[in-house]
Amino acid sequence: MEQEHFDVVIIGGGHNGSTLAAYLAKSGVSVCILEARSECGGGQENTEVRPGFKIDPHATFLYGGAAPGFDQLELFKYGMRMVWYSSMAGLVTLDGMAVNLGGRFTAGLAEESIEKYAPGVSTAEVGNIFTALGEAHMRELLRALFWTPPYPLDVEVDLRDMPWWQVFRKYLPGFWTEELVDMSYIDFLEAMVTWEPLRVVAAFGAWYCGAHPAWDGMLLPSLGGTLLYSYSSGSPRGGMHTYAHAIIRCALAHGARIITNAPVEEIIVKNGRAVGVRLSDDAVLPEKTIWADKAVVSGVDVKQTFLRLVGKKHLDVSFVQKVGDVSLKGGSLFVMHVICRDLPNYHGMKEPFDKTVYPATIIAPADSMDFFWTQTQDAYSHKIPPAPTPEHLTMMICNHDLYDPTRSPEGYHLLSPIYIEVPPPQYDVTGPEGINRHKSEITKAALNLLGELAPNMKGDNIVDVFVNTPYDSEFRNAGMSGGNWYGARQSEDQWFSRRPLPELSRYRTPIDRLYLCNHTSHPGGLCLMAVPYNLMHILIEDGIAEPGSWWYPSDWWLSEGDSPKVEVK
Amino acid sequence: MNNATKGGTKLGNRVGINITPPEHILEEFPQESSYDVVVVGGGPNGLITAAYLAKAGLSVIVVERRHEIGGGLATEETLFPGFYTNPHAIYHMMVDYMPLFRDFDLAKHGLSFVKPNAQMAMVFSDSCHLLLCNQPEDTKDSIAKFSPQDARAFGKIIRKWRTLVDELIAPGTYVPPLEPIDMIEAFERTPLGREVLRLSEMSPREIIFESFENDRVRAAMLYAACMWGLNPNDTGLGFLVPLLIDRAMNKAQCYGGSHKLAGALSRVIHASGGVVLDQAEVTRIILHDGVVSGVECFDGRIINAKVVVSSLPPPLTFGTLMAGNDDVISSDGQGSTLTAGIPAALQETAHHWEWDGWSFFTLAVVTKEPPRYNTDDSWINDAFMVVMGFDSTDELLSRWNGVLAGDAYSVPLGGHSSVETRYDPTLVRIGGHAVSFLQVHVPYEIEGGWDLKKDDFGTKLLETWRRYAPNLDDDNIVMTSSETPLDIETRIATMVRGSIKHGEYNPLQMGVFRPSDTCVGGCTPIEGLYLCGASSYPGGLVIGGPGYIAANSIAEDLGIEKWWSTPDYIAHYKDTYLS
Repeated sequence: MEQEHFDVVIIGGGHNGSTLAAYLAKSGVSVCILEARSECGGGQENTEVRPGFKIDPHATFLYGGAAPGFDQLELFKYGMRMVWYSSMAGLVTLDGMAVNLGGRFTAGLAEESIEKYAPGVSTAEVGNIFTALGEAHMRELLRALFWTPPYPLDVEVDLRDMPWWQVFRKYLPGFWTEELVDMSYIDFLEAMVTWEPLRVVAAFGAWYCGAHPAWDGMLLPSLGGTLLYSYSSGSPRGGMHTYAHAIIRCALAHGARIITNAPVEEIIVKNGRAVGVRLSDDAVLPEKTIWADKAVVSGVDVKQTFLRLVGKKHLDVSFVQKVGDVSLKGGSLFVMHVICRDLPNYHGMKEPFDKTVYPATIIAPADSMDFFWTQTQDAYSHKIPPAPTPEHLTMMICNHDLYDPTRSPEGYHLLSPIYIEVPPPQYDVTGPEGINRHKSEITKAALNLLGELAPNMKGDNIVDVFVNTPYDSEFRNAGMSGGNWYGARQSEDQWFSRRPLPELSRYRTPIDRLYLCNHTSHPGGLCLMAVPYNLMHILIEDGIAEPGSWWYPSDWWLSEGDSPKVEVK
Repeated sequence: MNNATKGGTKLGNRVGINITPPEHILEEFPQESSYDVVVVGGGPNGLITAAYLAKAGLSVIVVERRHEIGGGLATEETLFPGFYTNPHAIYHMMVDYMPLFRDFDLAKHGLSFVKPNAQMAMVFSDSCHLLLCNQPEDTKDSIAKFSPQDARAFGKIIRKWRTLVDELIAPGTYVPPLEPIDMIEAFERTPLGREVLRLSEMSPREIIFESFENDRVRAAMLYAACMWGLNPNDTGLGFLVPLLIDRAMNKAQCYGGSHKLAGALSRVIHASGGVVLDQAEVTRIILHDGVVSGVECFDGRIINAKVVVSSLPPPLTFGTLMAGNDDVISSDGQGSTLTAGIPAALQETAHHWEWDGWSFFTLAVVTKEPPRYNTDDSWINDAFMVVMGFDSTDELLSRWNGVLAGDAYSVPLGGHSSVETRYDPTLVRIGGHAVSFLQVHVPYEIEGGWDLKKDDFGTKLLETWRRYAPNLDDDNIVMTSSETPLDIETRIATMVRGSIKHGEYNPLQMGVFRPSDTCVGGCTPIEGLYLCGASSYPGGLVIGGPGYIAANSIAEDLGIEKWWSTPDYIAHYKDTYLS
């Protein structure tokens, strides 16, 4: 049998693996993706579970609008199209409010809508940092946060001089205080926002965007998730899989090989160096060993990479312990998809949401911060599936089909996804399958709650309901440990130069020529093309890739031995 | 078509929102673009045409309505979450012959077909069974249980039919059809050709009855010959019987799901510089002075091209997609409109196009263990396909006649089933579980509508299935899902009225008449417009003929040097019959 050799073999064709393949292929590197499932894209999925209805089992909005990848990879050539949304957020409460918080393309809407329920709430409270930063500076801030490779381990840097705080100081000197660097996002919200429902939306919003807002020292990364969401204000045409297609097609057009149904069982390590991979016996190719002449890149999470694919036989016991302890607490989601004939008529609406500015997401019920803390306790402290009462079930309800008719047929609407935060299955004290034992109970309770918020959401109006728990998501989607859309906790201990562990933060590993390219590395999930962009710096430094003039590094990139830039004191 | 398009705003949304984002966010696929060739519809044939032409150096774009290309090459998570099925093509019958497998190295993209020996079982209510295998001696062994004479007859007949398929029918699949009179003249040249002409005058039922004496053997053969829509009693298409029976014992399953074939073809297209645009329903083929100049998508995007290749059936290509260019002059009552400036013959074709006479209802199940059939031989549980419900040709014909008359519930209820995971374990994401389906013929219409009857009909089907496979009890079943003819049409809009072949197989819509004798070889009387779908010769079922033939015609018309050569078996056929 002919031996298969590539410069670089990438394990897993999820968002990060396929984006890296596109980058490497465009750099002229011979590259192969080995994907366990029958389709690449990972969490960028669209599934026609019922004819005519296309749901998003995982990712649903474009967060990566500020990514250098869009122009570096020229994704427009490969079919990248967007649907831009006129309102990105709304809130509904049990006590009768329905507020449209608008979006970046609809200035003033939020103030107008809040005024009906809470006269006198300051516009500064609503207008938020986004307006203050302005369009152009937003991209600079987001790139500092997400599209910057973590600094080398031996670099000493003051927290206040982290790239994102420098950008912040540069454009918002009036907002800057030393205290911000130690704050959690919740601390900041309590200082800035007086109106409770708005706090609830901001807090849940940040949580759904990856970082729990109570994590100390993470104000800006946590807020950053929601800024990513507002920055792009839309979704790829038809859903996230179109975006995946553009990336995959870019990789193919530049000569990448992509083999699906090819699960990897082992990373082959010889003399401390990764030299290839062994496929499972059921993999589609006749030759089950694929050699990597320059590097093996794992697009799989950090735990599977070391504990399953490399194996303890090549690793130090203390390292193995640290990998096992990487926290999965983050965004494990119970996901529902509801097909209905009429849009929810939220009972509190003095008038229905205007369809031309319909909130793309609605946080409900957003009555009280108590709901937020109760759910935080469930997910992270008690580690139990949520009880079937409203205070345990605040939902993020996504509405796409008014903006994008390809998602559902005429005469119907699709509320998909509806997210509820739950514990990672691995930590669930009732067992990893615990959430699935409560699946029908939680679904029923969430539907009842929806009926309470919008009286028409019951009976014949509900046509069908599909659910994927984090446990389901994990088995469906091999790389999605914890069914977590952020892969690993995005707390200060697992962020930037400490993500997922300090010794792994530059994407290099204890195994020579084995690199990490998964959302368990910095800066996490959300399909930003950021992990592969950051990793490219390292691969260039290690002589594995030499991209052409289309490549540009991060403004904040530090080679080994460089000192950090401090431009804004 | 969505409201925005109907209202003429063409913004691609339902409520007329028009947002222009700041330029620096990201660049999108352009509002207007130009290619040498635009292929409308990314089903198997559209992809084949595109792959050949892209590799020939033309700039090619495939424009697809759905979120995934492939058309019937679909592998979808219909059992959500975690279980995939092939809701359309699963039995690949022409893998041995399709030129594309010689012309493209698709194996390097991870494409692999599994062709089991145990191909098709028919199980009877008394637990007897008949098993048709890839190896004829195994088939003869099974037939001999019913009739030693039929076993011997089968051995002789299948040898003859395989030669006939090899030398005439299979190569003819990839060459433009002849006019009837020319075909008779050509086929008269050889004994095999004369046999084809003789069979053509017979109905499938006559051919089967002439060949076999035992009624159960006849029933199995008749099922194999007619399950894809040949009318058992009609004459004129008998030459397809040897093909369909031979191929019933040569089916292959695409490992990783049928969609892998679409994926492999798209890899060729991308590597050759071609583009695939999905989620981009074409709403108009643009004509200027009777000449094709491109297409328009539902969101208003314009793609200019001198060559437009449509894989859609005639009422859509010549009706719906051409409307809006000139004055609409008539409506055919099925939502299609016909347009001035379209040659009369094409308008006729669009008007009188007959959709498939029947469609399918499919019940898919996830089970902890696969169905185990009540039989005296465990080989049955390994069969790629298991047919059940019929003990005789009378029962089979009674069911089919009932369906053709519009009665979905006509008895006895029966059809064919497969354990999809038997030969493709990749379809499940939880080890140990099995995905299977039972598929039966049904009319497109049902009293009360399929949406209301879906659950009831699915329950009836499960009852039937359980009679033959008693382990399909409630404890074993994890999840079920049903697809009706309406669902087929909703998922794949070209399969109008659930027509999986884009239009009935009858003598007026086959051969040179598919879709019209003015469109031979995929060419049309409209300059720049070509056809490559299942509604073109030779037809559907992922045989790849229309796509290959269209690619050849376009290359010849454009004077492009063909990088591919004609396979020997096709060259031999051309030399013998067409020269």
